[in-house]
Amino acid sequence: MISKSMKPLQKLSWRLPYLWDLLRSLVDRDMKLMYKRSALGIAWTLISPLLQLLVFVFVFQVVIKIDLPQYSSYVFTGLLVWNWFQNCLFQATGVIINSRPLIRQPGFPTAILPVVVVTTGLIHFVLALPILVAFLLIDGVKLTPLVLLLPLLQLIQFALTVTFSYFLAALNVTFRDTQHTLGVVLQLFFYLTPIFYELKGIPAKYWYIYGLNPLVHIVTAYRQILMWGVQPDWLALAIISGIILILLPISYQLFKRQSLRFVEEI
Amino acid sequence: MQDAILVENVGKHFQRYHAERPLTLMEAALRGFRRVKPLEKRWALRNVSFEVAAGEMIGVIGHNGAGKSTLLQLLGKVAHPNEGRIKMRGRVGALLDLGAGFHGDLTGRENVFVTAIVTGLSRREVARRLDRIVEFAELEEFIDNPVRTYSTGMMMRLAFSVAVHTDPQILLVDEFLSVGDLSFQSKCLNCIAEMKEQGCAIVLVSHDVSQVERLCDRALWLKKGTVMAYGEPTVVAGQYTMEMRSQTQQRTPHHPIQLSASGTELRVNENRFGSMEVEIINVQLLPASEINRSDGLNVTIEYLASKPVEMPIFSVSISREDGQVFFDSNTQNMGITLPIIQDKGKIGLQIERLDLIGGRYFINVGIYAADWEYAYDFHWHVYSLTVKSNICGTGVLSPPCQWELKSLARSNTKS
Repeated sequence: MISKSMKPLQKLSWRLPYLWDLLRSLVDRDMKLMYKRSALGIAWTLISPLLQLLVFVFVFQVVIKIDLPQYSSYVFTGLLVWNWFQNCLFQATGVIINSRPLIRQPGFPTAILPVVVVTTGLIHFVLALPILVAFLLIDGVKLTPLVLLLPLLQLIQFALTVTFSYFLAALNVTFRDTQHTLGVVLQLFFYLTPIFYELKGIPAKYWYIYGLNPLVHIVTAYRQILMWGVQPDWLALAIISGIILILLPISYQLFKRQSLRFVEEI
Repeated sequence: MQDAILVENVGKHFQRYHAERPLTLMEAALRGFRRVKPLEKRWALRNVSFEVAAGEMIGVIGHNGAGKSTLLQLLGKVAHPNEGRIKMRGRVGALLDLGAGFHGDLTGRENVFVTAIVTGLSRREVARRLDRIVEFAELEEFIDNPVRTYSTGMMMRLAFSVAVHTDPQILLVDEFLSVGDLSFQSKCLNCIAEMKEQGCAIVLVSHDVSQVERLCDRALWLKKGTVMAYGEPTVVAGQYTMEMRSQTQQRTPHHPIQLSASGTELRVNENRFGSMEVEIINVQLLPASEINRSDGLNVTIEYLASKPVEMPIFSVSISREDGQVFFDSNTQNMGITLPIIQDKGKIGLQIERLDLIGGRYFINVGIYAADWEYAYDFHWHVYSLTVKSNICGTGVLSPPCQWELKSLARSNTKS
């Protein structure tokens, strides 16, 4: 009501330094809290995918043999990408309800909260990259200049995760069991994403449904530039980006409406 | 002067939901989404308008549920109005649930950074002001300890300090003055007065009428979401108190006519009002009910509380036959909080000199529920007091005074 008199873009550029500082301090806070709460601190975020990797290697290389070259690198790439996505969605779902004191501050931009969650996840992802590179080198992968596309893929995944986060956090205000339901759904999608198996095994007649999962294309694109040194599937990435551009504003509005409602109701 | 806050015809409604509204996705999926929709609207605020200029302080009074907190939420842009518009010029600071935003596991310093940046300071500005913030909160030794080791008082001091050091142009205050120790309270009050002088517009929400009268330039009285009165604090406070009195009348039970100790009949709703949870059983005027102009007066109230009553307020006023009140004192505005009272007891008020002009007066005594919600027992024009004096006139006061005559006649003729 008030902001309509000011041009939105002008307002944004005036707020940008503030939002940047806010994002920094909130991410900083989240990281510090994580250090303080667990003895292992940041190491835990690395140990968890490594243990998962160990299990997959045991099951699919020792028990049931899958013929997939450079298996450790293959799985670890998938795990890092998936974990970033999954952890953020989980945390972002509860973000409105858990941040009540912050939301009640006059003028607090609530919409920044899911971005904080996804940024914190990105930092963990980046911190794990040296280990990924170590795996790649051990598996004899030759890194090509295409690796430089990594930030672009991260940006697309970032935007995609934020889009979903807004939607889920908004839903969680009305239905407080969203987080539980989400757990089940995410577990299903974990198996519907090529994290520990090959895409080649998907029969063509199922591909049209299977391919609707955007994570399928994103995980593959990461592997294309990191492991195989080939151009990513630009068409798929463009379509995903296009859909994000449409959905992000919608989920953002929904989130804003719901976060207001949340504060007003209690 | 330019308005810092402009509120025009603002209305805000809340939605009431079906009692069996599904709270989980599963329920909703099973029972259908019909009940997710709200049933009806309830207006929490309607047609509220006021403005506050820079350097002005407005007090908002009203009972619980009158819409005070909703108004603060709207001003803080935490909620949006459904009607009307709100214009705010400048950075908004808030003294609402102090310290709630702090994270127990982080140190005081880390919390200051997060809180101050949330309020709108840049990182560099916070770093520059950190020392002043810590010094004001008197927490130099503890600032690097986790906040969960702080006492409530320490948390509040830190939160207050952060809020005032972010240089808000608009400050929203919610009853905070009733908490914390006395020295902290006076420090806060001084600080707020200083900010006001520097041009900060302040909105104070309170149900303490006397506080609003003392501190504010204007007062707004909200009742059930609408504005009952808006203007001079003393006037609004008077109207508010009157309203409370009429509420008291409704609560007054039928009670047989009693005789006061002095022999006057006590008739309910004529000269006696109240719920009678606490009764005034005797009022003594000492040295006598007829005194000289320069005498002092002691009013002793004897009461009987049939059940324990928390934080009652005692009040004594002096009025003339026509109802004009010349003196009004109560335990609350003297800063006295009374403990729980029960059974019989006495309370006395010593007035050193009355210095009223000769004539007939009435001593009115009352016992009120906490926060002036209603009266337990109030005796109006029951106990008469006669002031003997050879000086009469149309005035009211008769303090000791003398006329001195000095003739300037001689010097006039000389020149």
